[in-house]
Amino acid sequence: MTQPIIELRDVQKHYGEYHALRGITADIGQGEFFSLLGPSGCGKTTLLRTIAGFEGVTSGAVLIDGKDMAGVPANLRPTNMVFQSYAIFPHLTVAENVGYGLRRRTDLNRQAKEVLVGEALEMVGLDGFGKRAAHALSGGQRQRVALARALILKPKVLLLDEPLSALDKKMRDQMQVELIKLQRHVGITFILVTHDQEEALVMSDRIAVMFDGEIAQMDDPEVLYRRPNSRRVADFIGVMNFLPASVLSESGDRIEIEVNGLGRVEIGTDQAPLAGANGGTSVGFRPETLTILYEGQTSNDHIAQGVVEEVVYYGDMTYYDVRLDGAETPVRISMRNLFGRPVLEIGTRARIAWNPGALVLFR
Amino acid sequence: MKLRQYLRSDAARGYLLVSPTALYALLLLAVPLAAIFAFSFWTQDYLTIDKTWTLKNYREALSEPLYRELMFRSVRISAAVTLATVLLAFPIAYFVSFHVPKERKSLWIFLITIPFWTSYLIRVFLWKVILGYNGVLNTTLQGVGIIDEPLTFILYNANAVVITLAHAFAPFAILPIFVALEKIDRSLLEASLDLGESKVTTFFRVTLPLAMPGVIAAVLIVFIPTIGDYVTPRLVGGPNGLMIANMIQTQFLKLNNAPMGATLAVLAMLIVTAISLVFVGLNRKFLRGQK
Repeated sequence: MTQPIIELRDVQKHYGEYHALRGITADIGQGEFFSLLGPSGCGKTTLLRTIAGFEGVTSGAVLIDGKDMAGVPANLRPTNMVFQSYAIFPHLTVAENVGYGLRRRTDLNRQAKEVLVGEALEMVGLDGFGKRAAHALSGGQRQRVALARALILKPKVLLLDEPLSALDKKMRDQMQVELIKLQRHVGITFILVTHDQEEALVMSDRIAVMFDGEIAQMDDPEVLYRRPNSRRVADFIGVMNFLPASVLSESGDRIEIEVNGLGRVEIGTDQAPLAGANGGTSVGFRPETLTILYEGQTSNDHIAQGVVEEVVYYGDMTYYDVRLDGAETPVRISMRNLFGRPVLEIGTRARIAWNPGALVLFR
Repeated sequence: MKLRQYLRSDAARGYLLVSPTALYALLLLAVPLAAIFAFSFWTQDYLTIDKTWTLKNYREALSEPLYRELMFRSVRISAAVTLATVLLAFPIAYFVSFHVPKERKSLWIFLITIPFWTSYLIRVFLWKVILGYNGVLNTTLQGVGIIDEPLTFILYNANAVVITLAHAFAPFAILPIFVALEKIDRSLLEASLDLGESKVTTFFRVTLPLAMPGVIAAVLIVFIPTIGDYVTPRLVGGPNGLMIANMIQTQFLKLNNAPMGATLAVLAMLIVTAISLVFVGLNRKFLRGQK
């Protein structure tokens, strides 16, 4: 890996008695789209603000581009931020907002600054909006102004604090794609703070999942989704089914386990992360890794039997809660509603195909 | 028939509902004002009032140097009071808004209003005690040896009026500025820092412009009543600290020339209106972009 743009070295933050950050260590690469994901109060925003320079660290170090940022105030750091509320100056026009940070650029004359502002507005799709009053903008437009205002200063890192949480669903989906494109276009590191796991999965190159001031897992989205390293991470990201299990034997890189409802099966040690199980040994698997077999369908995978207990219809998908024979709680199975395939009714007995490779053992 | 229908309409009900207050406002505000206006166009003819309409009073009020001097002085003193009050109020409001913990803000605001628990008159008299020839200030300064002779420029002149009024109106200036500062989204200040401005430049580029509606409100709240203040100049102003309101009082009561007093009152009102309109216009400019 090339020189990371941000290095966090055992960052600790106390607010009086409250321990907000408990030893965060991470390297964030040049040009990476990095997300800090976690429930509210997990310290993700605090971490972002220590990188921006709004909060100091109690101990540890934040390095940006190899330089220790201790004692460097926010206005002297090579980072810019998009605030959750966007923080658009209400007394200024759109162009004045975007050009706000250019005042100290004495090397540029007025025309050069105007050109830069015009380019920045064009980049975020707001050309021609310069003369408008900032308070007359919609939520999505404010967001674009905030982006243009930050990116015009060519920061080494752009920090985004829950930038999409104030937008409605459609706008949010649209902005997610636009942000990814924008990040590729400008090529700088983006650090996104979000509590929305879907948003993090869609946008990030790498995600750090945070709980209680600590990073629980830091991986790319696919690994995070398929191989969560603890039950807590698994629970936070997407839907995960859990069934109680017991380990029968371990030999080399194989583990033999017995799962309620699925029976005996052998899995690899790579499917059994070391982190704590939180309430006994269990096996987790995603809803889409199981398939309900219709009459006449066959499968080379393992087959289990069960009864449909609940049906949740989503249009493109249907979620079935199926109680497997021998299991105490139902598991959720998601099926695409392919053309000509009827939605099953509650009470139907079904055969379910599953693959041991999709299991994750928490112990 | 039509009348009955009208009385049942919403409009009529509305008028009926507001009529007590409307009547009250009419009697207490509109009627006295109209009377003053009427008087200002009449003239005093020894013991009776000549009710022929004339502009004679206005000609006299505008040409007589004494009236003009008093008018200018009133504006000058008021302007000084306003300036002093607002300049002193801003740091206090800023401190309470930005540096006092949230749960203690209301306590601070409450403490600021405490001087109001005593009567205005008593506060003015207290200033006499403080500023007087043998007053608290002079004896203290003499006691510690900073001055040999008692200071005389602090009582019975315009300075004393400015000091006393600035104190009296301080809460009126602090409160609107405080409210304006409270409304400022703190993330705007962080955004400004993040975009490269220091704390000082952030104050001038963000905080102050956004606080301007409050500052202008404070200016109006202090300026409008002080220009017509009567008690303070009377008690601590001495001969050179008298203002237009004292002259109006003299005209009405001592000189028994109500029309002239009314004319001076109308002129004072016009000046206040003109100056206020300038500030209201400014306010509109600053309110642009704020909800």
